[in-house]
Amino acid sequence: MTNAEFQAVVLAAGRGTRLPEVLGDAPKCLLPVGPYPLLWYPLNLLQQHNFSEVIVVVLEQEKLEIQSAMENTPLKLKLDYATIPGDSDFGTADSLRYIYDKIKSDFLVISCDLVSNVSLYPLINKFREHDASLALLLFPSGFEADVVMPGPKTKHKPERDVIGIHAATQRLAFVSAASDCEDTLNIQRHLLKNRGRLDVYSRLVDAHLYVLKKWVIDYLHRKENISTFKGEFLPHLIKKQHAKRPPKTVQDTTSEVGVVTKNEDHVLHYVPHTILDQKISQTSLFNQSLSHGPYHGDVVRCYAIQAPKDAFGVRVNNTLSFLAINRKLSGIWNDLCGESHPLISPGALVKSTQTKEIIAADNAKLSEKTSLNFSVFGPNCVINPKNIVNNSIIMSSAVVEEGCNIDNCIIGHRAQVKTGSVLKNCIIGPNYVVEEGTHSQAVHLSNADQYMEIDIQ
Amino acid sequence: MAQFEKEIVQAILIADNNVWNFKPLSDEGSTALLPLVNVKMLDYALIALNRSGVEEVFVYASLYLQDIRDHIKAGIATYASWSFKMTVHVIGGEGCRCFGDAMRDLDAKALIRGNFILLGADTVTNADLRPVLEQHKRQAKFDKGTAATLVFKECSNNVRTGNEVLIAVDRRNDRLHYHQRLRTHQKESRYQIPLDVFLGNSCVALHHNLLDPQIAIGSPSMLSLFSDNFDFQTRDDFVRGLLINEELLDSRIYVALLPDTQYAHRVNNWPAYQLVSRDIINRWAYPLVPDMGVYKLQQQYVFHKDNIYKSHEAFVSKVALQENVVIQAGSHVDSGAVISDSVIGANCRIGKNCRLNNVFLMADVTVKDNCRLEHCVVGAGATVNEDCEVSGGCVLGAASELPAKTKLTGTLVTSTPSTQKIDELEGGELELESLGPKAFIISDLTTGDPEDSDGEDFLPQQMLSIPKMGDRLALLDEISYCSDLSDDDDDASRAVTPLADDTNIFLGEVIDSLTRGFREKSNPDFLILEINSSRYAYNMSLKEVNFNVVKAIFGMQTIVEPANNNVLVAFNAAFKQLGPVVSNYIKTEDAMLDCLKALEDVCEENPLVREKISQVVHYLYVKDFVSEDAIQTWYGQLEEQEHGHLRQRLAKLVEWLDQSSEKDDDDEDDEDED
Repeated sequence: MTNAEFQAVVLAAGRGTRLPEVLGDAPKCLLPVGPYPLLWYPLNLLQQHNFSEVIVVVLEQEKLEIQSAMENTPLKLKLDYATIPGDSDFGTADSLRYIYDKIKSDFLVISCDLVSNVSLYPLINKFREHDASLALLLFPSGFEADVVMPGPKTKHKPERDVIGIHAATQRLAFVSAASDCEDTLNIQRHLLKNRGRLDVYSRLVDAHLYVLKKWVIDYLHRKENISTFKGEFLPHLIKKQHAKRPPKTVQDTTSEVGVVTKNEDHVLHYVPHTILDQKISQTSLFNQSLSHGPYHGDVVRCYAIQAPKDAFGVRVNNTLSFLAINRKLSGIWNDLCGESHPLISPGALVKSTQTKEIIAADNAKLSEKTSLNFSVFGPNCVINPKNIVNNSIIMSSAVVEEGCNIDNCIIGHRAQVKTGSVLKNCIIGPNYVVEEGTHSQAVHLSNADQYMEIDIQ
Repeated sequence: MAQFEKEIVQAILIADNNVWNFKPLSDEGSTALLPLVNVKMLDYALIALNRSGVEEVFVYASLYLQDIRDHIKAGIATYASWSFKMTVHVIGGEGCRCFGDAMRDLDAKALIRGNFILLGADTVTNADLRPVLEQHKRQAKFDKGTAATLVFKECSNNVRTGNEVLIAVDRRNDRLHYHQRLRTHQKESRYQIPLDVFLGNSCVALHHNLLDPQIAIGSPSMLSLFSDNFDFQTRDDFVRGLLINEELLDSRIYVALLPDTQYAHRVNNWPAYQLVSRDIINRWAYPLVPDMGVYKLQQQYVFHKDNIYKSHEAFVSKVALQENVVIQAGSHVDSGAVISDSVIGANCRIGKNCRLNNVFLMADVTVKDNCRLEHCVVGAGATVNEDCEVSGGCVLGAASELPAKTKLTGTLVTSTPSTQKIDELEGGELELESLGPKAFIISDLTTGDPEDSDGEDFLPQQMLSIPKMGDRLALLDEISYCSDLSDDDDDASRAVTPLADDTNIFLGEVIDSLTRGFREKSNPDFLILEINSSRYAYNMSLKEVNFNVVKAIFGMQTIVEPANNNVLVAFNAAFKQLGPVVSNYIKTEDAMLDCLKALEDVCEENPLVREKISQVVHYLYVKDFVSEDAIQTWYGQLEEQEHGHLRQRLAKLVEWLDQSSEKDDDDEDDEDED
């Protein structure tokens, strides 16, 4: 284990607060995406890159459920489940800090909601090439752009990041959430000075896939007040790129506040920088600039790689992207994992003849005389004859009775759509029963106030 | 296509658009006719246009219209190199007072028929603008609202001549979204760019290392935009106006970058003049180099090694021309002179044992024996008599005459007392200090640089001086604004708290200014200017300024680590030099209290000062920096517990003050009035 260059950590302890409509009581990482649970996709990505062991961080109470779900998938990875206590409100950085002991080498961190076919080798090579502290992956946004969000019309404002990357070196200059800025973006002069062109992107999505040096987790371990990785630690680390070693004799004529820097708090205390390293950088001919030392003498270096144009990636962290990935999955399936994984499970019972780009899970019963297009059918769901289902997701154990027309809907777990219903742009909550002959458009139907609508921005 | 073939390439050349920075030479003639490495600046611009395939040029002049007309006429008559395949018209009028007026006038005259090249007469470039013109035409076909394409050139970051800009450009279509001129006088620690610039476009490139050579390609609509918006005065007004009201005006600006191999720079002040001269001599602007027959199509110089260009008819005997020197025909250099990095015009005479470094002599200048000239410009026909020392960016006006043994640094000298325009001076206090019958020092202070009007509204009444030449063109030191200073206490919140930081940076800058001023013995007025500009940059209150200036004096290296640990000697020396700076700030009773409070702080930090605090306070009292009342009040405010030591040390002094005030109680009132 420890002789591998990289360890991999999949963070799967998220609670899925942004997709309450479809989640039901299942863990977020077990959301059905096509035939497999969501967690399978990042694991499959790692497997394709020849990882053999992966640490999966899960909530304690969900461990068994996830474990059994993953055993049902054709995955050859050895999974090492690390549990975090379910009652605590852990952020991503907290989770990493919790499993600190397990990290013995440089490592990858992937969020469980990443579905992508991108090759990680360019990212890892960039990391190796520049002895980077961190490298992250960026996707173009807009995967969900053409999908209409079902349910009542809400102001859906996607979260956007403003990301600054130095064009010549692909060094990250800053990552900040657009909502954190007010009207102006403050850019510090040292980010521009002597570093040439700075490209600022606003339509890229952070894949939440990071390659990190071992020392980073040591540092994170120390910084106990940081709770989230993306929101707090990442900007912190990026800013620390320009940190200089504190002078040995602190001659403090300028500081009135009397900043006391404890050495072990300083980021550079953690960066292994041996005399050999110094000698190497002195003797090395490598330099990107005529007038400065390599990397401007920065020891902490963060890089960003943009996924190639033909690759795709999406983070399934809200209902819209969940719907989008499910509907588009059959079109991109071959890119994603090759032909070896059938989209229509052998255990599914598909009698319908008019189907186009559908995905059916185990034990789904799709009756004859139906027209089913661009849709996903979960395990044990039942579609009776004389139905039309387009662009929709029918979750596990849901039942659609005869003569229904369902378009761009999400039908929740164990929900029932009774005869003759016409639903368009609807979300049907778990266990909900749609009465006979209902005609609905753009509504969210669910049992009582079982789930509160949580508006996160 | 036929109609495009007929279209001829037109260009507009604006002369005289930065008069102020070239005082006093600009008072005596058009700046467009100022020689730069012995060729007039206007000629460089015309050659650049000719090389870019321009067929018709309109030179727009206002103040010295007739001079420029004569020059053009003479140029055509003598077959100047730009006169081939290019017709040059000189137009203009006295009524034109700014760039915007010129554009409106041109619009009214309807001389421009299509896309045109717009250039200032102060631009030196060897760039071929044809590709940029083509790019502009393509863009205009695609976007009907294309108003202009601005041309920029990459540069190094460390020199600021007032032409540096920060721009934000859309990566996809090179459209300009943000434009900010970088200030010459102080460094920005951060840039605030509207968020919409980034959110509205998927990828925006920020260019920080760009130079604006004032080259643009204009659409016909550019001129009418000036007519429609009569408040546009400068080109920057135009750019800013279009960026703010892009929807209203339905016009867009695009950007083109010159390739690395092409040279472009604008000569709009003396540091830029020095820089561009050096670049021309070092052949960066090839083929615009002295020995290529710029302007006159004949070989004027012989090119020797170490970039020495010597005319055949220059008489240089036993002289050490070290490097980067241009000597025109008819000049005499006597024995023992040493010349480096200099340009010497026609028919100059340089006496024995002179030393010239970074000196720019126009025609017919006489420098008599044993002079030392450094970083200065000498106008045509001027005379520098024996044993003068001139340095630090001095400019001697045409026909002026420096008396023997004059020592000048950083001053502007004119030959007649009447050239100064009174209305340009704040308050109208006009003092022309006389050096001799034909040498008067003129003030170079201005309220705000007319060229530097980039909406920096928070510097309203800041006094600026003309940028001067200097040894260190790299005026901006490598002070890296390391985020670490503020970083350790803001781990929780990402926003950097600017307040504590700014005070520290301000203090740091004041210390830097004072240290330099002390070392170089510069004029205290300039130091005050520097401190004031820092003050506005960091938005310090008057109280904080008072406090920090005093603190800064004690923060200077010479006082923190004095020789032989004798802090009093160091302190005395510092105050002798910097006294005027301190007294400028410490005027009122309140300010004196601030000053003493600062001392209190200093005592905490510096044990040497703590030892001698009573002497220090006594010195300040004797030299009238602080009044007795202030000392008493301060002493009263010192708390027994916290500052017990301080009180002890001061007790004697205060006692003495008490006694002396009793003695001359009667005189006190008189003293106060003084």
